[in-house]
Amino acid sequence: MEVLDKIPIYTLHLLKGAGFTVGITAGSLLMAVVIGLVFGALTAFVKRRITVLPITLYVEILRGLPPLAVLFILYFGLAYTGLRLEPLTAAILGLGTMGGAMLTEVFRAGFIAIHIGQREAALAVGMTPMMVLRHIILPQTWRITLPPLGNYAIGLLKDTAIVSAIAAPEIMFYARNLVTTTFDTTLIYILVAIVYFCMSFPLARLVARFERQARVA
Amino acid sequence: MVEFFALYGKNWAEWWPQIVPAIGVTLSLTAVSYVLALVVGMVIALGKLSPIGPLRAFSVGYIEFMRGVPTLVILFLIYFGLTPLGIVLSAFWAGVTGLGLSMGGYIAEVFRAGIQAVPVGQREAARTIGMTPRQVFSYITLPQAVRIVLPPLLNMLIQLLKDSSLCALITAPELLLTAKDLASTSFLPMHLFLLVGLVYLMLAWPMSLVTRRVEARMRRGTRSAAA
Repeated sequence: MEVLDKIPIYTLHLLKGAGFTVGITAGSLLMAVVIGLVFGALTAFVKRRITVLPITLYVEILRGLPPLAVLFILYFGLAYTGLRLEPLTAAILGLGTMGGAMLTEVFRAGFIAIHIGQREAALAVGMTPMMVLRHIILPQTWRITLPPLGNYAIGLLKDTAIVSAIAAPEIMFYARNLVTTTFDTTLIYILVAIVYFCMSFPLARLVARFERQARVA
Repeated sequence: MVEFFALYGKNWAEWWPQIVPAIGVTLSLTAVSYVLALVVGMVIALGKLSPIGPLRAFSVGYIEFMRGVPTLVILFLIYFGLTPLGIVLSAFWAGVTGLGLSMGGYIAEVFRAGIQAVPVGQREAARTIGMTPRQVFSYITLPQAVRIVLPPLLNMLIQLLKDSSLCALITAPELLLTAKDLASTSFLPMHLFLLVGLVYLMLAWPMSLVTRRVEARMRRGTRSAAA
């Protein structure tokens, strides 16, 4: 049948973008985690609110803006002011900074949940703040932050579809190109949905397992 | 720097009459799809909790699908993918359907968790004194579930406001698409996207304030470490 013949051809074409999708997800995730850990720790531990005001502003603004708007600002807006970014760079920067804003909140909640007595005791014993962070706080924060972190990663994987709008080569971008040459919208977009689902479902199962473990302990 | 802001003054009269209706479209997209999502979410949540096997399986499948597939893909499927099959929706209604169905999956989980969070003992006690399952649900379960469910639901509304911008990619005449069009005719992308970003923030901010107030209100009367 004609349809059955087209499926493997289309799917193969779509999967060319899969590598980029994973790459964009990994890059943005890394950036978001680094930003989130640093800013989360700062907002959790610094007493003076004025000092962390820039971070608070950053978090509120990037959490309130639609992802597509941020990407347009980075890709089209910056080009106007002279800084022309590659689609992939703009994609990772955009998704990474937005993720950083989200993860700042996640890590801040995780840090705050650790009883302050632990930190005081560790400092009293003679550990430096760095050591306290590494040996006492982070291992315990991990259990609290892993489920939201996992959920964020899954959401990130799906959000990479949006970067097709700034011509970043990932699955959705390849799909839209394929549609312009074949006009076979129905089959192609169904296949796209299936591809994304197959990528995110195992992750979702994994996160569900972490959630269960976190609750049991 | 001053020239940057001066350009706003120069173009304001031309941009304003196009931006205001676009804000209206964005708000109505958000509102209508939210209603759809609430309805879909309640139906699917009840389906997932139902004793009927196939209904439960369908609900689980629906939730997993909507949570596993990007909203943008759902929107494209509905707007571009249904056309060859004869179902042609306008960009607005395709957007509403897509956003509503997609968010409905998430809301279903919120409803389900809220309903299950009401202590079983209450339901059992109500049945013991002779209430029918339907009475138990309307008088006992639902009112208490609402308190648990309201904050996440409000967060979903804010999320929908942001997701409405995705409808720009299926040519719905909403705020971001209008900004992009104006940017290409005026060659001032930075100005327009910053402006539109500000509008989104101003629309979302009151909603987050309300959410925070409702969250605090809902927690009144419950016992927890944080007052």
